[in-house]
Amino acid sequence: MARSTILIADNSCIIRKGLRSILQNLENSEVLQLIDNKEEVCEIVNSSKPDILIINPNMLPADCADLKSKFINGNKLSLVLLSDKKKIKEEYKADAYINYLDEQDVILDLLQEIISAKNKNAIPDKNADTISSREKNILKHITLGLTNKEIADQLFISIHTVVTHRKNITQKLGIKSVSGLTVYAILHNIISMDEVK
Amino acid sequence: MRIKKDMKLADVIQLNYMLIPVIHRFGINLGFGDKTVSNVCQENEVDLNFFLQLVNAYHDKDYFPKEELQTIPVKNIVNYLQMTHASYLNEKLSEIEQKIISLQSEDTEDQKYILLIRNFFEGYKSELTEHIMYEENVVFPYVLTVEEIIKTQSFSERNREIFDAFSIEKYEEGHDDVEEKLMDLKTIMIKYLTPPANSTLYHTIIQDLFKLEEDLNYHSRIEDKVLTPKVILMEKSIKNLL
Repeated sequence: MARSTILIADNSCIIRKGLRSILQNLENSEVLQLIDNKEEVCEIVNSSKPDILIINPNMLPADCADLKSKFINGNKLSLVLLSDKKKIKEEYKADAYINYLDEQDVILDLLQEIISAKNKNAIPDKNADTISSREKNILKHITLGLTNKEIADQLFISIHTVVTHRKNITQKLGIKSVSGLTVYAILHNIISMDEVK
Repeated sequence: MRIKKDMKLADVIQLNYMLIPVIHRFGINLGFGDKTVSNVCQENEVDLNFFLQLVNAYHDKDYFPKEELQTIPVKNIVNYLQMTHASYLNEKLSEIEQKIISLQSEDTEDQKYILLIRNFFEGYKSELTEHIMYEENVVFPYVLTVEEIIKTQSFSERNREIFDAFSIEKYEEGHDDVEEKLMDLKTIMIKYLTPPANSTLYHTIIQDLFKLEEDLNYHSRIEDKVLTPKVILMEKSIKNLL
């Protein structure tokens, strides 16, 4: 399962660090960065593309309308507000809202829900752990050193399909490099050691 | 906790053992008794300010003294990065390699798989070496030249040539992810291989890989967040000179 990335933006260091330490107990997630500077919010969100942005509304840049359409639709980002005003969630059309007085369990449950919902959308495939026979076949071709184009030609499929398969294989196995995939393929008898090279 | 100049260096290391190789790269050896950070720096002729910024940047992910670090001469930063490079090439990589080799001589059953790991690690090693050599041979000479141009406020013919041939943006673009293979190796060893007979050694190797990755992250943080922005500013002021 892909790890969800989280960005925390608040001008209080107690809140930033406190929240991060709470989120360490969250499964399948990782806090990317803490931001204390309003001016950098746009830039950092665009460059690090987090899945979830937890932000104090005071930190949102003034052109919020633009920010919302661009970030949330463009980056498929979930917006979680950090505030003590309940109404704020509707006001900004946020996905969720954390109150400063919330207990740890409440915060964790809330975020866990967002993350599970995201993962459900991202991976419709139920048996995400093992790769399908089609994917094994593609993997074999990758480890033999063929390019996407060559694989597409040999299997009579489009390059686009090959790229999608590659992406799924990498995501399922957690291995990115071709040499890493080769080791996996040898270990699982998808290819023999003599065939490589 | 922020590391300060009147703390005992021994206490600093108790706080975070990952700092042992860092202080070693400054040429500081263990056995300094109760001396403070500033005493030890003085004795070893290490710039106290630079030392403090650097150990704090290593120690605390959120400590990012952009402005303070910007005041440190490029030459010192490059020096430090070169020492780190040398320790990767001369120590860390070969230590791990040696361990993988001794794993290999254990049991004939495991031979085949360990050979795979070994070949993979060799591949990673040459990739990292190539990356480091590029920085040493192209990037560092360039940034040192930039610093010299700023200092003298003029171009020599040679400096002009180096300045025109490269830009830090090129470096940023090409600064590819050397950690990818390292992560793959860890994943394979953790998820997909059954440990060989000598599992203690096998576990040690995985822990070494984690530490190397952590150290590399610290290292590239200095490159990307300190050196690069600093050089970008310097490039801009040179362009005004032209």
